Amino acid sequence: MYERLLRIELCGMKMKNPMMLASGILGSYASSLTRLSEHAGAVVAKSVGMEEREGYANPTVINYSHGLINAVGLASPGAVKFAEELSKYEGDAPLIVSLFASEPQEFAALTSYFPMASAFELNLSCPHAEKVGLAIGSDPELVYEVVREVAKSTQKPVFAKLSPNVDVVEIGKAAEEAGADAVVAINTLKGMKIDIVARKPILSNVSGGVSGEAMKPIAVKAVWDLYEELSIPIIGAGGVTSWKDIVEFMMAGATAVQIGSAFYYSNRYFYSLKESLIAYVRWTGERLEDIVGAAHS
Amino acid sequence: MFSLKVEEIIRHSETISTIFFSGKLRSYPGQFIMLNVFGLEEIPLSLSSPDSVTVKAVGETTKALISIPTGTFVGVRGPFGRPFSPTNKKALFVAGGIGIAPLVFLNDFLTACGAKVRLLYGAKSSDELVWVDRFDEVRISTEDGSEGLKGTVLDLLKDENLRDYDRIYVCGPEAMLRKVLEIVKKEGMEKRTEFSVERMMKCGIGVCGSCVLEDGLRVCAEGPVFRGDELLW
Repeated sequence: MYERLLRIELCGMKMKNPMMLASGILGSYASSLTRLSEHAGAVVAKSVGMEEREGYANPTVINYSHGLINAVGLASPGAVKFAEELSKYEGDAPLIVSLFASEPQEFAALTSYFPMASAFELNLSCPHAEKVGLAIGSDPELVYEVVREVAKSTQKPVFAKLSPNVDVVEIGKAAEEAGADAVVAINTLKGMKIDIVARKPILSNVSGGVSGEAMKPIAVKAVWDLYEELSIPIIGAGGVTSWKDIVEFMMAGATAVQIGSAFYYSNRYFYSLKESLIAYVRWTGERLEDIVGAAHS
Repeated sequence: MFSLKVEEIIRHSETISTIFFSGKLRSYPGQFIMLNVFGLEEIPLSLSSPDSVTVKAVGETTKALISIPTGTFVGVRGPFGRPFSPTNKKALFVAGGIGIAPLVFLNDFLTACGAKVRLLYGAKSSDELVWVDRFDEVRISTEDGSEGLKGTVLDLLKDENLRDYDRIYVCGPEAMLRKVLEIVKKEGMEKRTEFSVERMMKCGIGVCGSCVLEDGLRVCAEGPVFRGDELLW
């Protein structure tokens, strides 16, 4: 009975809990999205672009003592093939499709390929791909154009995923002004790792994006700052590993949270976090939705 | 992630080598490592013992690996994945081609447990047969008839009474795994049969989603070893 206290509403989407699968994690196939949707509030598919894109050579994802570093390079089968794959999605949680492109019109053209999407997330923040991702997301004017074009192309909610490698509030404001329904904060931080025996960078792309527990305080601060300045909902992301992290993000101002790197530990993560959140609301007796922004006085 | 030195290399044939590392990995048969040949790619490889991998040259990285100079450092992540479950009774191994690699490790492990192992081993030709002398009981098939029965490992399987075995362990190309699964299902042996499944893998640690099966399970984390009743094929 306490499970209903976990329910949230995000931009008109009813979610059974505030947990979303972060883009780029286990999101390339409908089979895994369907499996993970059982206990998730929503799932975000891997970023897709118009054309097929190879991505970088392995190693593309490595684990280190406090999280992961990845430079997958936005590998994608392209819009047509990926839409075909996602049409097989059978989960009951909303499916959000993450898009990347190199200019506003291309972003807008992508939305019509994905009728199965409940919302769109704009990847304005991938730190390791040329001409897309952060290359777009570091320019407030370009972000404004992209969000405006995409919002014009679809009736569905549009989320802008922001980077911590630039001024997150400035970009967040540009997205809000252009009509974004929510912002996602934050994408990965730039980072790298060197093999000290081989004396070489480990990732084939030399550097990549750092995710996982180490980046959580940075993400919480970004959510905090955005909550002070923006009036649209904020989706928190960055290092969520325990139920306490979810509560912390929500108190900082996040309506929902995305979880990614933690799947390194188990693919039953949503289930275990959900059970913990149920225990939490049983203790507080409060709806989870009511703690959003609670730390701001 | 750490580095290991290539200590010794056994060249079994033109295309297959076993590479021994400077240190043993705390590992179980069926587990794999992500091996990074610096300057080339990082690839998943089944362990053929706690300190070796047995590799067939199929791509650029494996081609370089089969003749890698001793003393070279390679990057290693792992061991990862769910291993085979052991038995101390009668075990049947079904290997196709380089699928023998994890079964060599498993053979050592099960023999130490007191199990009795019988191997059915199919390859394209006799020069692709490796580590045969490590097994007590072996039946061989080759597609060109250069050794053993002319045919595939599935032909060898026909003569076996599968219910005699406590466990059946299978490793090889996916087409072969699928056919073996059909056969063991007919005998009601799918819960006692374990398959080492191969999929295109990137991260090896359950996050990238490249290797998921039809039911969303991850080959690198829930696998690579699956029981027959867990596969939706």
